[in-house]
This record gives sequence, structure tokens and C-alpha cells, in this order.
Amino acid sequence: MVDLVYFQLLSAALFVIGMYGVLARRSAVLIVMSIELMLNAVNINLIAAASHLGYRSVGEAFTNFDGQIIAIFVITVAAAELGLALAIILRIYRNRGSVNVDEVDLMKW
Amino acid sequence: MEWAWLIPVFSFAAAPLIVVLGRVLPGSGSFLAILAIAAGFAMFWWVFAGFLGAGAGTENCLVSSHTGTLTCHYQMAWFHAGLAGAAGSVALTWGIIVDPLTLAMLGLVTFVALMVQIYSLGYMRGDSRFGWYYAVHAMFAAAMLTLVLADNFLLLYVAWELVGICSYLLIGFWHERPAAKEAAKKAFIVTRIGDVGMLIGILLIWREVGTFSMFDAFEAVSSGAMSEGVTTVAALLLFLGAMGKSAQFPFHVWLPDAMEGPTPVSALIHAATMVVAGVFLVARVYPIFSAYDGDALLVVAIVGLITALMASTIALVSVDLKRILAYSTISHLGLMMLSLGAFGYTAAIFHLLAHGFAKALLFLGAGSVMHGTDELDIRKMGGLRKVMPMTAFLFSLGALSLGGIPILSGFWSKDEILLAVNEHLNPAFIILALLTAFLSAMYMARAMFVPFFGNLRQEMEHAHESPASMIGPMALLGVLAAVFGFVSFNWPGSYQGIGSFLFFHEAEGFHFNWWLGILSIILAVGAFILGYLVYIKDRVSLEGFRARLGSLIPVVENKYYFDEAYQWAVDRVVLVFANFIGLFDRIVINDLAVNGPANSVHRLGVAMRLHVTGHVYSYAMGMVLGTIALSIFWWFRSVS
Repeated sequence: MVDLVYFQLLSAALFVIGMYGVLARRSAVLIVMSIELMLNAVNINLIAAASHLGYRSVGEAFTNFDGQIIAIFVITVAAAELGLALAIILRIYRNRGSVNVDEVDLMKW
Repeated sequence: MEWAWLIPVFSFAAAPLIVVLGRVLPGSGSFLAILAIAAGFAMFWWVFAGFLGAGAGTENCLVSSHTGTLTCHYQMAWFHAGLAGAAGSVALTWGIIVDPLTLAMLGLVTFVALMVQIYSLGYMRGDSRFGWYYAVHAMFAAAMLTLVLADNFLLLYVAWELVGICSYLLIGFWHERPAAKEAAKKAFIVTRIGDVGMLIGILLIWREVGTFSMFDAFEAVSSGAMSEGVTTVAALLLFLGAMGKSAQFPFHVWLPDAMEGPTPVSALIHAATMVVAGVFLVARVYPIFSAYDGDALLVVAIVGLITALMASTIALVSVDLKRILAYSTISHLGLMMLSLGAFGYTAAIFHLLAHGFAKALLFLGAGSVMHGTDELDIRKMGGLRKVMPMTAFLFSLGALSLGGIPILSGFWSKDEILLAVNEHLNPAFIILALLTAFLSAMYMARAMFVPFFGNLRQEMEHAHESPASMIGPMALLGVLAAVFGFVSFNWPGSYQGIGSFLFFHEAEGFHFNWWLGILSIILAVGAFILGYLVYIKDRVSLEGFRARLGSLIPVVENKYYFDEAYQWAVDRVVLVFANFIGLFDRIVINDLAVNGPANSVHRLGVAMRLHVTGHVYSYAMGMVLGTIALSIFWWFRSVS
């Protein structure tokens, strides 16, 4: 079995890449994709941890499904959120002809 | 007798009715006011008869240990301020007192108000606000009647202020005239100054006693629960209110200006409803004034004497008929106060009544003169006797009565005052009081001889006698001004004079001090003879006398510069101080204290909004940095 720490490193790397995308990208679509990346990084972390915890002692049945359940929730919410986000982005594009978040700064004084 | 509270209610009810229905009723509803006050007058006799038939055993009646007279007291609960029974709660009651003092005032007020209202039918005919005049008139009488019936300071104060506002409305009745407007304001403000003192006095008594009831206050004074200092201070504060209403020095300045109102109003104010309220107040709370050897009464006596002397000198040089009468009123109010200050309780109230009838008569006479001639400057009048015989006769009767000519009522009451002053005060007081008596006879002689006697002036030939609705009330008042003094005698039978009915602790029979009586007769008759010689026959010239007084004459003619001094004080002290307060308010309170915090919040907001860029990535950066900071925080917490 692969050691848990490699999954965690992979997860951390994906998360940080996603975070960089959120902060650095100007295109709203790419930001949403980066958010998906972060969510999936979290999912990897959850699944890995759950599978390790589920087999704490060899020979026992797999009993702990918490990590998997949360991961399914995350996927569901992410799907819904993606739909909403794309709808918003579509409306912004219709209104402004661009999805560049620099130009969308109405939420200030 | 328990229905005595109805007496003011009639007029209170009439006032709004006239205002609402005045347009559709005949005579603008004036008959409603007259009917109401006539009902009050009839009711007064009923109450009076009930009172005479009552004794110490009658329900709600007892011989008060505070005044020594039979006192009937009726009250009903009004409401509790605070929880009933809880500490600091005040049970407020409506209540009335029926005692000789109240009865005397009820009779005076209802009678004079009735006469004045009937007179006004003729005098105010054709005025555009005829109905309003009667409405306020009814309210005025009702307020005064409430004032004399009140059994607690709160109700008294309410009625007191109602009297004030009604006098304001009536003095300024012809408010198109600037002088009337100013006079109304002056009357209201000057009396308010005294009222503030009175309110403080009432609150002081309330603090000491815990209720507004007068009887509780008297009880606290007589049992010693109120200390000498507090009692004296409370009495003097109440006296401030009395000084304002009764136009005592130094608050007398409003009364002469109040002449701007219609003349019947002056008659009412001077005789029955307004200025006597102060004298009544002192008499009503006499147990407070006379407690602890009457320290407060000495102040009352001194203020009264100064007022009486000062006003009678001004009356002697005024040229406006109504102003002469106004200063005469001030002077006589001073005499009443002097009498109260000299323990002459009976004498003061007796003089109040006698003066009320005579002064109402004189004012109605002056109104009649004004009605007939449109003139008030006595220098332009003369010989009116020939064109207005009834007015002249009745006016002279009032003048002789007030001047103290024997057997007319003013003589007896003034004599009682002189007796009281002679008995209880320093000899200096009696000398000055006699001087005042002489001066008051002198100015009455002037007010009587100059306009009515001598040769008829050419410009006065068009003058005409007034209608019967004006002469009738004057005649009734004239009868009382002539014979009212006889109530002070011991009549055959059980009647022992007014002193046996209206007194403070000790009933007094009629008494007459021969040397004082003869002295006052000589002074009064002498003054009238001197007046006749000076003003009619020109036998005696005052020029030498005037020359000797020299520069004093203009001082008196300018009313001792009181108005000027007050104007200076208002301009230089009050307004300067008010400006300072205004600036303080604007700069410190408004700009610094109120707008200061608001402005600082605004400036903080301006500074804070700079971090709200509206860029999504800067918010995301904030989230990331915040998460990292929280992670580090929890990391260290879990480690340590």
C-alpha cells in the first residue's frame, strides 16, 4: 500500500495550483476551473485518509465510510456550484461582453 | 354644598360651546356665557346658604385647626402617579374647599364677571370676534372659580396658569394693534417669572410633605414637620407667584400696559379674576405664611407698602384715565398685601371685596367714557357730567368709595387695614400707609374732577350717554360700592360683622379706632377738597410744589424708569447671556457633541472603504491570508 503522505503531497500540490489559479487568473471561467481543482484536491485528501483509516488493522472489514461520504457530498455540491457559477458567468458575459474579473468591480463603494 | 364644583363647570362648558356653535347661535352665543355665569352666581347663593346652615357636625365639614373657620372639604381620587402604595407614588385628587374665604371670592368673581359680561353686550357690540370674546371670558371666569375652590396646589397651579393664558388672550384681544400684542406678551411673561418661583415653592412643599394637598401642608407646618427655614422659603417662593399675578413691585410693570385690552376685560382683571389671585393665594396658604411668627409676612408687608406707595405716586401724574385706575389697582393690591403682612387677614379680604366692586365700577365707567367720547386722556376731557350724567354719577361714587370717603364701602375696608397695620407693625408703616391713603384719595379726586366736572369742553359736546346694558351693571356695582362696607358692622341679632365670618383663628368683632378713623377721614376728605380746589377752582396752584420737587417729577412721570431698566436688563444682560448660550449650544453641543461622533464615524468610513476594491481576486486573497493566519493560530494553540 502506498504511504498516505504521497497522497497528501499530491493533494497539497493540486490545492496550491488551484489556489494560484484563483488568485492569478483574470478569466472567470479559469477561476471556476481552479476552484474545481481545489475541491478535487480536497477530495483526494479525504479519500486517501478514509481508505487508510478504514483498514487500520489488517483482516478487519472496511467499516469507516466517512471520508467517502464527504467526498460524494463535495462532488455533488461542486456540480451544483459549477452550474450556478457558469450561469453567473454567462450573465456577466451577456451584460459586459467579457468575463475578465478585473472589469467586474461593482461590489465596492 | 358638595355641588359647589359645578360653579366653574358651567362656564367651562360654555366656552367650547360658544367657540363651536357661535356662528349659528344668535348673538354669537354670548348668552351662553352670561347664562353660565348667572347659573354660577345663583349656585353661589345656594352654596352660601348651605354653608351658613352647616356646622361642625355636618358631613365633610369641620372647624379647621389651621384657620379656625368652618371648612368643608370634598374630594375624589383622580389617579396614582406611580404604583399605588409603592414608595414615591403620589395619589392625586380633585378636591374643593368651601370655607368663608372661598365663598367670599366665589361671590365676588361670579357677580363681577356677570356684570362685566352684561356690560360687554353693549360695549363690544359689532366687534368681529364677539363670540370669541365671550368664550375666553367664560373660560377666564371658570379658571378663576376653579382657583378659589382648589384644595390642592396642583389644581390651584393649573387654574392659575389658565387664568394667565386667558388674560393673555383677552389683553391681546385686538391683536391687530401692535401695542396690544406687546402688552399681552408682557403680561404673560412677567407673571410667568413669578410663577416659576411659585412652582418651585409647590415642589418644595411636595418634597417635604409628599402630597399636593394644602391641608397636609398646613398640618406639616403646624406639627413642626416642616422646619422654620423650609417653611419660610416655601412661603416666599409662593409669594413670588402672588407678586407676579398681583402686580406687586417689582413685577407691577405689566398691569398698566394691560390697558390695551378691551375696557370690560380690564374691569374683570382688576376687580375679580386676575390680580386678586395673588392676594387670594397668600390668604389661602396663610397658615404657611404665619407659621413661626410670620417671618415671611414681614416681606409681604414691605413689598406691599413699597408697591402701594410707588403706584399711588405714579397714579397722581398719569394722564390716561385707564392708567390712573391701573396704578390705583396696583396701589390697593399693595395695601391688601400690607394688610396680610400685618396679620390683617379679615381686613385684606374685606378690602379685596370692597375694592373689587368699586374698581369694576370705575373701569366700566371709564369704558363708558371711552364709548361715548373715544378719548382717554383726561387733559382733553372736562365737564362730561353734563353729557353723561349717569356715568359721571356712578364713576364719582366709585371714586369716592375707593378714596375712602366715610360710609362708602372703601372707607370701612381701608380703615380696617390701617387698624391692622397700626396694631402689628412698626410706626413707620402706619405713617406711610396713611400717606398712601391720602395719595389714593388725591388721585381719585383727580380722576373724578378733571374729566367729569368743570366746564364742558367744546370737543366733548358730541359725547353721548351709554346704553342701558352698560349703565345697568354699573348701577348694581355702584350700590355695592356704596353700601358693601356695612357688612363689617355688628348688626342687631346674631350677626357680628364680617370679622365673625371670615377670619384667621380669632373671630373679630367690628371695631373702630377713633383717632385713626378721624385721621383717615380728615386725610380723605381733605384730599378731595384739595383736589376740588386744584383741579376745578384753580384756587390752589401746584406749581410751587412742583418746582420744589424739581427733578423728582419727571422720575415719577416716567414711572420710576422701571420699563427702561427692564428693557436695559433684557437687552444687555438677558440677550447677551442668551447669545452666549446660543453660541455654546451651536459650537459645543451641536458641532462637538452631536455632530462630532457622527462626523468621526463618517471619516472612519471614508478611510475604511479604501480596502473594498471590488476585485474578486483581492477578496480571494483576503480569504487565503485569513485562512493561513487562522491555521497558524490554531497550530500554535494545539502545540502549546
